[in-house]
Amino acid sequence: MSAPLLEIAGLSAGYGEVPVLSGVGLVIQPGEIVTLVGSNGAGKTTLLRAVSRVIAGRGTLRFDGHDLLTHTPEQVFGLGLVQVPEGRQLFDKMSVEDNLKMGAYRRKDEAGIARSFERVYELFPRMKERRTQIAGSLSGGEQQMCAIARALMAAPKLLAVDEMSLGLAPVVVDQLLAVLAEIRKQGVTVLLVEQDVFAAFTVADRGYVMETGRIVREGAISVLSNDPEVQKAYLGVQ
Amino acid sequence: MKNLQRAGLALLAVGLAAVPFVASDTLVQFGINALLVATLTQGWNIIGGFTGYPSFGNSVFYGLGTYGTAIAMAQLHLPFGVGLVAGGVLGVAFALLFGIPILRLRGPYFAIATLGLAAVMSAIVATIGFAGKNIGLILPLFRGDTLFYELSLVLLVAATGTVAWLARSRFGAGLVAIREDEDAAQVMGINTTMYKVGALALAAFFSSLAGGIHAYWITFIDPGSAFDPTLNVRMVIMTLFGGPGTIFGPVLGSFVLSAVSEVLASKVSTVASLFYGFVIVLAVVFMPKGLLDLFQGFRHSGFRYFAQNMRRFRL
Repeated sequence: MSAPLLEIAGLSAGYGEVPVLSGVGLVIQPGEIVTLVGSNGAGKTTLLRAVSRVIAGRGTLRFDGHDLLTHTPEQVFGLGLVQVPEGRQLFDKMSVEDNLKMGAYRRKDEAGIARSFERVYELFPRMKERRTQIAGSLSGGEQQMCAIARALMAAPKLLAVDEMSLGLAPVVVDQLLAVLAEIRKQGVTVLLVEQDVFAAFTVADRGYVMETGRIVREGAISVLSNDPEVQKAYLGVQ
Repeated sequence: MKNLQRAGLALLAVGLAAVPFVASDTLVQFGINALLVATLTQGWNIIGGFTGYPSFGNSVFYGLGTYGTAIAMAQLHLPFGVGLVAGGVLGVAFALLFGIPILRLRGPYFAIATLGLAAVMSAIVATIGFAGKNIGLILPLFRGDTLFYELSLVLLVAATGTVAWLARSRFGAGLVAIREDEDAAQVMGINTTMYKVGALALAAFFSSLAGGIHAYWITFIDPGSAFDPTLNVRMVIMTLFGGPGTIFGPVLGSFVLSAVSEVLASKVSTVASLFYGFVIVLAVVFMPKGLLDLFQGFRHSGFRYFAQNMRRFRL
């Protein structure tokens, strides 16, 4: 077994005096799609924030051989851990193409950026069609595509997508899930943080279930989706 | 086209540089004021227009520049060049020191915090004996309006050149990203704190140098005039009038408004400020995105441009 791309162990984090995460452990191997599911307020986004060093945390946090606890948020981004934040956070008044350029902001290899543009446009033909359109005028699904495309422009090793399905029609969610599978084929590891457990389970290899700041279940999707507790709580099976 | 524009700009700069050799003393003095105010406006454009942080602390940088220069020259008897450097260092150091805590605030909170700075600074300076308390300082007299004019012009050209560089540089793109959506900029791996402090320091650099030149030209400073908050308001108005976040908008805006207020003050002296206010209200209604946008929009859609604006901004 190769070294994990992301290794989290005994991670505790919170906001000021309020602890949210306690002793969270999570491992992602290169090339995997891993999903983190759980209900509202379970601490999923907080975990992403701690991993990207926006909030402080204690424990073990290793990415691609680096100890993240000694890194600033910008450095974590530079290492190749790139987020698609919840709510997309596009530059609403800029064109699609300018948004994508902002994704490559920290890169200086012009040839590599041009290749990324090609790859991203191949993945999202819709973005190529709309490249001069103002990002704020795109539909919800297109905005999410733009956000994912922008993150890909940073040439990530690990793409962390937060609440990708939020506010989108099921058919659009399916399209985006297919794109995630395609992205993985191209060698990018994916961490999908979702409330929509059904959707997440259709594309992921392994999953973690989070409740009130702890990981309560983990395993292969085939195991998780047959777990009676998970079925009852998240899949609506009686 | 690009070359034509460049040639035109160079010609304009040479024309402006020739003014003191042909124009009357009154016009040259008006020119010095207009150039310095345009420099301040361009400085505000960096932090307010590009980065989107509505600073009311730029008049503090200006004031520190005047005091740095005045203390060096009046109290320490150093030459003007040293005084100017002292003023610039003081302004930039202050921006770095206070930028880090204050730039954590956003929107109105940032504006109010900087407004507080301006009020506090004049009170502090008025108690320091070395800075002349509230009586002020008198600088050695130097009659050389031509020199002051050319110096102010060089400073304005430098400030505008810096903004032109910003508009096409990686650093400038980072600032615009912060203005458009600071959280998204952070997600894209931009060290927003460093960028914002850098923008404020740049603004402080030009503002304090303008203050230094003004101090030596006027030869007298006191806390009230050095830390005058209405000066900052003028920077904001002139930037918005010309076109925030553009290269030449703020310069154009400040030239036009300086001229308007000068003409009004000499023709209809008593009610000049009333008319000045009227001009600004009209500008906000008819061209909320500034003069530069007006020129482009008017060429594109004629008088409908005004109707479009009023509809878009629900006026």
